[in-house]
Amino acid sequence: MHIPDNYLSPSTCAVMCAAMIPVWSIAVKKVKDEVTKVKMPLLGIGAAFSFLLMMFNVPLPGGTTGHAVGGTLLAILLGPYSACISVTVALLIQALLFGDGGILAFGANCFNMAFILPFLGYFIYKFIKDRVKSEKGEYAAIAIGSYFGINIAALAAAIEFGIQPLLFKNAAGQPLYSPYPLSVSIPAITIPHLIVAGVVEAIFTVAIFAYIKRVSPGTIYEGAKQKANAIYGLIAALICLTPLGLLATGAAWGEWGADEIKDVLSGGNALGFVPEGMKNGFSFETIMADYAVKGLPDIAGYILSAVAGVAIMIILFKVLGSLKKNNAGNLPGQ
Amino acid sequence: MPEWLLKDENYIPQSDKDTFANKSILSLLSLLSRIRTQSGYKEDKFHVNAALKVTFTLMLVILLSLSRSFTFVVVIYVYLLVILSLMQGEEIIKIFRVSFVMAIFTFLILLPAAFWGNKHSSIMITAKVFASVTAVNILSHSTRWNSITSALKRFFVPDIFIFVLDITIKYIVMLGEFALNMLYSLKLRSVGRNKSKYTSLSGIAGTMFIKSKEMAEDMYSAMECRGFTGEYHIYNKFKFTFADFFYIMINICIILTFIYLGRF
Repeated sequence: MHIPDNYLSPSTCAVMCAAMIPVWSIAVKKVKDEVTKVKMPLLGIGAAFSFLLMMFNVPLPGGTTGHAVGGTLLAILLGPYSACISVTVALLIQALLFGDGGILAFGANCFNMAFILPFLGYFIYKFIKDRVKSEKGEYAAIAIGSYFGINIAALAAAIEFGIQPLLFKNAAGQPLYSPYPLSVSIPAITIPHLIVAGVVEAIFTVAIFAYIKRVSPGTIYEGAKQKANAIYGLIAALICLTPLGLLATGAAWGEWGADEIKDVLSGGNALGFVPEGMKNGFSFETIMADYAVKGLPDIAGYILSAVAGVAIMIILFKVLGSLKKNNAGNLPGQ
Repeated sequence: MPEWLLKDENYIPQSDKDTFANKSILSLLSLLSRIRTQSGYKEDKFHVNAALKVTFTLMLVILLSLSRSFTFVVVIYVYLLVILSLMQGEEIIKIFRVSFVMAIFTFLILLPAAFWGNKHSSIMITAKVFASVTAVNILSHSTRWNSITSALKRFFVPDIFIFVLDITIKYIVMLGEFALNMLYSLKLRSVGRNKSKYTSLSGIAGTMFIKSKEMAEDMYSAMECRGFTGEYHIYNKFKFTFADFFYIMINICIILTFIYLGRF
């Protein structure tokens, strides 16, 4: 998921960096308020920890190995704001010292792995954990949170790659940066994450959390009470993400208008294929595709799909919540 | 002497899959050795101010990314080769190794696009990736890490980031050694088939975290005893040397070349 330099256009990198600046400043402020001075060094050591976690190869069925990122784990152990700073620093070291992930793409990489991954993972974990009080529920929350965290981060990276050929072309119509459209980049990046990396991340996060909870239970970050409503933050984050897609289609349509019809067709095909890759993981994107096929204006389709996505998410969590309640009610009777 | 001691035994341990442990050990070792070569004391190469180096390397990467002229990329290659030729052999090998891996990886990724009739951009992107990775690696190999931290301070990076960065670099080595020893002991103790090996992997990582927490607390008290308040101050005055002047001139030339060749 580390995006190297020159795959993304400098303007995309600038936008991503600009998006990260408020996140960083809020994180710094929050950490200064929340984290006592005694715990401050833990941030650096947390960064070292997440850096090393990527060195551990976990065995996978089929004889391969994979490694975790640990963003959600750090968010659960240290709090999401601390995790944001820690992962940012780990990424900075990787970019500067190891050439892993680009300097210009640093903002984009941070957006995916230091912002989306820990915050989404943590909020999903917190949301489920607050509704399901049992210990099993907590582990399920960790597994689901970390799995979704890494997969949505991967999806974000795929979108960043995929919008490049739509937005940046030279006079001959050839893409200037990453040449693969969304139809290629999304399956190529998300499928390995859904099948391999997400599973590793979930297993590793749960296993380490269980170990730490058993050995040293006092270590785990409690979090402020008001974060119980974190799901609204999650929804806000998702809605914030949709303009990214809007940007992609909007600009692309503009360009096709000026270009040949052949390009329009290939572009149209590319857009039509998006849901194919997304079907695997993210339900609300397929609906977006349906709207697009029906011939609605793209912007309307996007906003509709965003609303639909939010609604589906809420319904999903409500159904999940009520199921859990039923289970909890059944337990004493059994 | 008891009889069983005199008997010949022919114990062949059952083979077990432990590639993951080997892989983890190898990746940890390569990481540690790379940081050690970084953090060992070394002369600042070229005697150019670190803040200038960071600024102009960033500028170079941006220009490379913006440029659409292959000539400009070639010019940068020549410039980078000249700098590389001034460095030590070992360092050159290390820098090239990273750059080649990245470039080959990029090329492989872009190969399908080349078949779709996109040869120009495939070659351009591969070339650009090679150049920017080389430029960044030259920076990291020719500059001490603490001077990069002080350069960051000059760019108004918040103290908390510098502080975290500083600690991280030091503790990657310490925690890495710790993890490495645990992996070794896991490997040594699992003779034959060891079913609980996979579960101990999370134990290693968990212990590493608890250990890191203890280390953090110890370090904080140590720092507090020495009067650290969490603020960084730069107290070496910026001295403008001939090398700095020369370096700025070269970079101005690069910018002029970029403007002259244009974006297309």
